Amino acid sequence: MSTSMSTKDRYRNRIELLQGTLDMLILQTLQWGPQHGYGIVQALRVQSGEVLQVETGSLYPALHRLERQGWVRSEWKQTESNQRARYYRITASGKRQLVSDLSRWERIVEAIGSIMHGRPEEGEA
Amino acid sequence: MSRRWRLPFRRRREDLQAEIDTHLRTAIAHRIAQGESEEAARQATLREFGNVPLIQDVTRQTWGWLWLEWLARDLGYTLRQIRRSPGFAVSVIGTLALGIAAAAAMFTVVDHVLLRPVPYRDPRRLVEIQEVNRAGKASWPQPWLDIEQWIRQSRSFRQIAFFAERGGRHYLEGNTTALLVEDVDVSANLLHMLGVPPELGHAFLPEPPGVTPGKNAGTIVLSDAAWRDVFSGDPGIPGKVVRIDNTPYTVAGIMPPGFRYPVGTSASPQVWVPLQPGKDDQIRTNNANDYSVLARLRPGVTIAEASAEMTVIQKRVSAGYADAQARQDHSGIRIHRYEDTLVDAGVWKALLALLAASGVLWLIASLNVANLLLARSTARQREMAMRRALGASRWRVVQKMMVEGLVLSAIAGALGFALALGSVRLMAHELAQHLPLPAPATPDWQILGALLAMTVTSALMATAWPALLTARAPIEPALKQGGQQTGTARRHNRVRGALVAAQVALSLTLLVICGLLLQTIYRLRRVPLGFRTDHIIVADLNIPSFRFAGKDMMQSLYAPLLERIQHLHGVQSAGLMNEVPLQQTFGIMLALRQNNNQDIHAWLKPLSPEIQRVFGFRMLAGRFFNSTDTPSSQPVVVVNPAFMRQYAPDKHNPASALGMTFWRIRQNAPMHIVGVLDDQHQWSIGLPSQPEVDVCLCQITPKSGVYRVSTVVMDAAIRTDQPTQILIPEIRDILRHASPELATATITTMDQIVEDSYGSQRLAAHLLEIFGATALLLCIAGLFGLLSYIVVQRTREIGLRIALGATRKTLLWLVLRQAGGMLLVGVVAGGGMAFASSRLVQGFLYGVSAHDGWTLAGSATLLFTAGMLAAYLPARRAARVDPMQSLRAE
Repeated sequence: MSTSMSTKDRYRNRIELLQGTLDMLILQTLQWGPQHGYGIVQALRVQSGEVLQVETGSLYPALHRLERQGWVRSEWKQTESNQRARYYRITASGKRQLVSDLSRWERIVEAIGSIMHGRPEEGEA
Repeated sequence: MSRRWRLPFRRRREDLQAEIDTHLRTAIAHRIAQGESEEAARQATLREFGNVPLIQDVTRQTWGWLWLEWLARDLGYTLRQIRRSPGFAVSVIGTLALGIAAAAAMFTVVDHVLLRPVPYRDPRRLVEIQEVNRAGKASWPQPWLDIEQWIRQSRSFRQIAFFAERGGRHYLEGNTTALLVEDVDVSANLLHMLGVPPELGHAFLPEPPGVTPGKNAGTIVLSDAAWRDVFSGDPGIPGKVVRIDNTPYTVAGIMPPGFRYPVGTSASPQVWVPLQPGKDDQIRTNNANDYSVLARLRPGVTIAEASAEMTVIQKRVSAGYADAQARQDHSGIRIHRYEDTLVDAGVWKALLALLAASGVLWLIASLNVANLLLARSTARQREMAMRRALGASRWRVVQKMMVEGLVLSAIAGALGFALALGSVRLMAHELAQHLPLPAPATPDWQILGALLAMTVTSALMATAWPALLTARAPIEPALKQGGQQTGTARRHNRVRGALVAAQVALSLTLLVICGLLLQTIYRLRRVPLGFRTDHIIVADLNIPSFRFAGKDMMQSLYAPLLERIQHLHGVQSAGLMNEVPLQQTFGIMLALRQNNNQDIHAWLKPLSPEIQRVFGFRMLAGRFFNSTDTPSSQPVVVVNPAFMRQYAPDKHNPASALGMTFWRIRQNAPMHIVGVLDDQHQWSIGLPSQPEVDVCLCQITPKSGVYRVSTVVMDAAIRTDQPTQILIPEIRDILRHASPELATATITTMDQIVEDSYGSQRLAAHLLEIFGATALLLCIAGLFGLLSYIVVQRTREIGLRIALGATRKTLLWLVLRQAGGMLLVGVVAGGGMAFASSRLVQGFLYGVSAHDGWTLAGSATLLFTAGMLAAYLPARRAARVDPMQSLRAE
């Protein structure tokens, strides 16, 4: 019995995450409290109004990378459904990183926005 | 084994596994809670999650030390593979070890001879200065008057030193024994310029070179070896008086162990005596003393700049020569880096050619291993496809195979290294005859580095192809049944066919060059030598003439010595000769002045009349020496055809030389030619003979001009009908009795001397025989392996052909044709390569052209025939395939 996917991947009506933004989103999610991997995925999906879908293939490497940087710390805890899960918690340096990531992000959004909306930059002088 | 490796990584990995499990469980629970069935929820979750092992791998990569874990696992995997198929591992390791050993052995020698810096301070700035004529040929002599001008006028050098090796044989006398030493006359600044301080005492005091005896007169510096051999390393020796050939010297200092200057082929311990220019240094004629000149360049001055300056200076200096011819002969200057002058150009070329040959062998071995690994990777295609289907990345698969190649070639490298060291020791005797330095006993970093580079390169060469081909192969077909007969396998076979053809081409190149050298040896052996070589014992005597000061050595040493040897049982005749043919020990160049005042040069050979019977020399005209020739009879000489052709009135009639008269330049006793010898090879079989003048020892007295040169070195040649090993101890006894120093004489046979005279050709031919045979073997093994493999792979197809009516003969041809194709491509390519590369060995060939068609055709035929034989076995197996069985199989 073959489970081969004869059709191409279905078109998914979700936006792929911009390169480099995943770390920021994870840190932001953890601002609201410690969370495990699945919880982070869910939180991002809900918060984005079902638009953002984090690939687990990117999530776990990202989490482990953040931990290596010292921006998050992890510990094993019981979930509400009585499962043992690894909870990630943002650290002080992680919070600082988030602030700098955010300001960088805002600058990028502003820059892209000004290009996309074609607003000539005049009010400067 | 691998369990132990895993321990440090395990906890963390299990953590990650648990983390992902939780994720999956939570996600499934979530979906069920939303109303999906359990099965649907599980499948959806897994699909959404993706490839679990791949995600684990990528995640673990962020930990930073995953590569270590991978490496450990790959090592374990490789060791398991080796254990599972030891035959495969042995053939891979053996092949590579052979290739690496050949290259490493040659590199060891070349590194030692060509690349090792000489043991003086800053040797790159040491240069040799040599006067040359217009054609660039070295002039002789190079007199003090010229050197003096260079020292005064040149600005390129920090120092200019000069020296002369004192000719003849010299003995440093101890209390009981005397030691044969190499006596070098050096300018006072030479040892200082080399920058090696003495281990005891001091070197010569600085003084400007001049004609008057200076501060260093009467002193001597001993080498460590001479000091230890004669004075047992007595630390009180500096300041004491020692004697060399009865002349007293005060010891100034002892040089450290291993120090030699000049570096020559002689192994005798050296001593250095300060040089004081004297009477023969105030002239520029042929009688002036000849010096070698060594200088140290000023920092920042290049050889080109120094040459330019010296050329200008030499223009002025050569104007000082009265004779027009001499002015031409000394008109130029050549400056060489000292290091580059150490190895004879012929040996240098031979070594490089052999190094190249060993490199080719190594290449063949690596190609062969690549072929073996490629065969295996084809067989393991399904395994690799399975690994990739389970989530291994391409890079991971390539890495696994690379590690395997590295492990195999590392083992081969270690083995090859041991083999190389062993063979260098085995060859040490033969190498010592051609190289200025003894072969190395221990490896150094350069050699180990080269070995490492070769090992890694071998591994990369051998695994890169198979690994890339495997990694790029599509997964799906390989997983299906019978996937081996797909396009991928065919592509692999094409690559393997090309590799075999490349091996054939390289092997043919080696075989052709080997064939050329073997022909050279064969031709050399067929050259008529002009004398008999069988049943002759030769004793090479360094004459301790200091023991016979004031006596007539002809009467007190030579005559009684010959008398005693002739009376030994089994001796048919015995004679003396300053050097027997092909023995390059001590040539005496004689400058003669003919009665028309024309200068002529010839080699002088003092010998005894019996020597003709020993060697069976034939006469072209006149007579040889006999008992009527005595010190009081008219001085007579015998000459050779080369002399006759150059100087006799009628070049084609030997008899016309008889009766010609000569004068020694310094002594006015006329010498008459009474005989012309048949031609014989004097120093080398490959070279034509040069003018030679033989004089009889029976006419030489202490008053003769040639007395001194006749009492330096003598070869005793003895014709016997007894086995040589019986006679040699008795001869040694007689020699010891004549003088204790003679007891250590080298005694050998004429046959051995002839054998040794083939020299570097023989060494090169021997090595190339080994290289060529190994290459042939590897190449045939490669062809056999490939065809056997293809036949097994095509068993089903062959079975089908038989079932459809193909005859056994057709099938035999099917396989043989494939082999013939590969061989043909290889032979054609190899022929071209051989044609191009045989020019490299041109200098070594004798009597055969570098582009000898017969050698090429013979080697190609040999290779082709051997290849077809190797192909026959797999072809027969193909022809015997049982169609029923093969179609049912697999």
